[in-house]
Amino acid sequence: MRSHVPSNQHRRRSHGIHRHPVLSSIPYLFPAAVLYGVFLLFPMIQSVWLSFQKWNGFRTSAPEFVGFANYVRLFTADPVFWRATRNSVIWVVLSLAVPMVLSFVLALGLNRQMAGRNLFRSVIYIPAVFASITVAAMWKWIYNPQYGIVNETLRAIGRGAWAEQWLGNPKIALYSIFVASIWQGVGFNMVLFLAGLQQVPHELVEAAKIDGANAWQRLTAVTLPALRPTLVVVIILTIISSLKVFDLVLGMTGGGPAQASQVLALWSYQQSFSNHVFGMGGAVATVLLILSLALVVPYLTWSLRGEED
Amino acid sequence: MNKKLAIAAAAALAVGLAGCGTGGQSDVSTSGGATVGAATSVELKVWSIELSDNEKAAMDELVSEFTTANPGVTITIEQRATDPHKEALRLALGTPSFPDIYWYWEGPGLGGELVGQGASLDLTPYYQQYGWDARFGDSVLANITQYGGYHGVPWTIQGEALFYNKTLFDTAGITKVPTTYAELVDAADKLKAAGITPFATGGTVNWYVMRLLDSLIETTCGAGLADQINTLKASWAGQTCVNDSFTELKKWADNYFNDGYMSIDDTQSNELFYTGEAAMALQGSWFDSDVKDNGMDLGAVGVFTFPTGTGRLYGFGEGYYVSATTDKADLAAKWLDFITSTDKQKQTAGMFGALSVNQAVQPDATNPLNQLWPAIFSNATGMYLNNDQNLTLANTTEYWRIQNAVLTGEIAPNDAGAQFQKFIDANG
Repeated sequence: MRSHVPSNQHRRRSHGIHRHPVLSSIPYLFPAAVLYGVFLLFPMIQSVWLSFQKWNGFRTSAPEFVGFANYVRLFTADPVFWRATRNSVIWVVLSLAVPMVLSFVLALGLNRQMAGRNLFRSVIYIPAVFASITVAAMWKWIYNPQYGIVNETLRAIGRGAWAEQWLGNPKIALYSIFVASIWQGVGFNMVLFLAGLQQVPHELVEAAKIDGANAWQRLTAVTLPALRPTLVVVIILTIISSLKVFDLVLGMTGGGPAQASQVLALWSYQQSFSNHVFGMGGAVATVLLILSLALVVPYLTWSLRGEED
Repeated sequence: MNKKLAIAAAAALAVGLAGCGTGGQSDVSTSGGATVGAATSVELKVWSIELSDNEKAAMDELVSEFTTANPGVTITIEQRATDPHKEALRLALGTPSFPDIYWYWEGPGLGGELVGQGASLDLTPYYQQYGWDARFGDSVLANITQYGGYHGVPWTIQGEALFYNKTLFDTAGITKVPTTYAELVDAADKLKAAGITPFATGGTVNWYVMRLLDSLIETTCGAGLADQINTLKASWAGQTCVNDSFTELKKWADNYFNDGYMSIDDTQSNELFYTGEAAMALQGSWFDSDVKDNGMDLGAVGVFTFPTGTGRLYGFGEGYYVSATTDKADLAAKWLDFITSTDKQKQTAGMFGALSVNQAVQPDATNPLNQLWPAIFSNATGMYLNNDQNLTLANTTEYWRIQNAVLTGEIAPNDAGAQFQKFIDANG
């Protein structure tokens, strides 16, 4: 009988847990919160703090507080910053337009029953596992103006006049790197879309078919709405990886020629670790942080709200 | 599930942005000697730029000999690539992890900056103790004494000049080595007319094209004014000679450089020289061994100084500096005396450079190109330095941007000097 009558003490304890769920979760969250604070928040805050200092990187020289001077210099006297900003924005827009659409089309194609489907999926995904610096080295040779396969092919088919300095022409260098980025990145998004397509209820597609919906209608009215969560992830990841693009540019052009393919993440790195003007590097990183948050947070909020609704 | 994915994406954003403020990597290796008797052992820590396999083997041998002769001493050599080496020194200066000895370029924008930060010990007492003045000679020591006192011990002295393919010169009907800038341009015209690429260079490594620009500034401005503007004691703006230099640079790029130079690096462009597709390359004395290793007929390769008309040789020095905070300065000086001694310099002749910094050591005879440099150095009236060693790193980056923008047509040659000066004025 005793077991059917909970003691007051037990009742109180159960009641307390339900009343203070946040308090009771603190011990469990603490280790992760410490790690997050030390390895994520602190470097970010330090980077922002550095953007208000003048510092040459020597520990023997104390950073000097200069207020917004680095930002004024960045916006008015840095000949590279605005070009890097423009290039980063171009990269984001192109990444959302080209590889995402391409990977979605590939996912739709490879979601059907067909011979060699897994082989095609693997072949398309393989570049995603390569280190970016390896991809950069490969594509540097592909674009080599003398021996590269692109110009060699153009000459072989009688289109030698189209042969270009793909990485040496400031007007097209950024786009040439972007092609390598598509080659590397399309497989990853394709896998995400394929995973999403597995979640689209088959009965809905069949029902739409029975109702007389054509392929385009089934895609826009059934498949795409069902893919919304996947789309959110892909778009956010694409924006993030686009703003972070660094190693491909570093490996293929170093931001050149004449900083024509410079992007914000690389410029921040170069200002800090090549030019050793850490305040300016921090200022570029802070601008990049604000730009990233401005792009990602509203979209993320809107998407999650829509999902809850 | 979907929320989790979205949160994971947000976390990835945070990680990525946090990464914007950090970076750099180092490739560290060590070589050491035997430690005899733990109680009396002492370790000498040396930080160096990456050594090639041959250089490392030679250095390991020196370490082995020194530590055998000095029981209880261990020498640890940490190597890093160029940028990580610079970065590591910056971060370590003022901390106990700073090495006892560090290798660095001697120019004011690099070695001079560290001297200015108090990183280097004035070695005047050791120069007197070991008689190093007599060992190295005035021209080599000029880079060591330029900051007052004696900062560093010279390790290499590198001259830079035009390597040329004699066969291609003959084919183009060039009968004598150019001794004036007009003759050099004339030679380039003849090579071009003969269907030969006159000049090999690679634009993705900015310093390769920069060598020509530096030499053109020396040619058009003369030694005095060139030194003034390169050390920012005179303005780059409004200088006719600066405009002329950039105009000539553009002319060389449009007419005499290899096709596609802006898309390739030094390795790829050097290949054009090795294979006889290009007639000239503006390279340094270290290139002697590259020419040999890449199978060129050494008898068909010559070297002549860029005909600037000033008589000065283009080049720079590299040295080992003793830390101002080390408590092993005596041992550091003993090690540096050992590796620059006549005996050891003969042992490693040709390994670290075509010429030895030790005046008593003749160039390595196994490569005939090495034999050309003593006369080139002795005929020079002085040296002019690569501008990436004259200028601060930030100014160098801008110098390269403007250089490349002139080449690609984004900046008019006559605007280049003014734009560079504007950057210097704005950024201090």
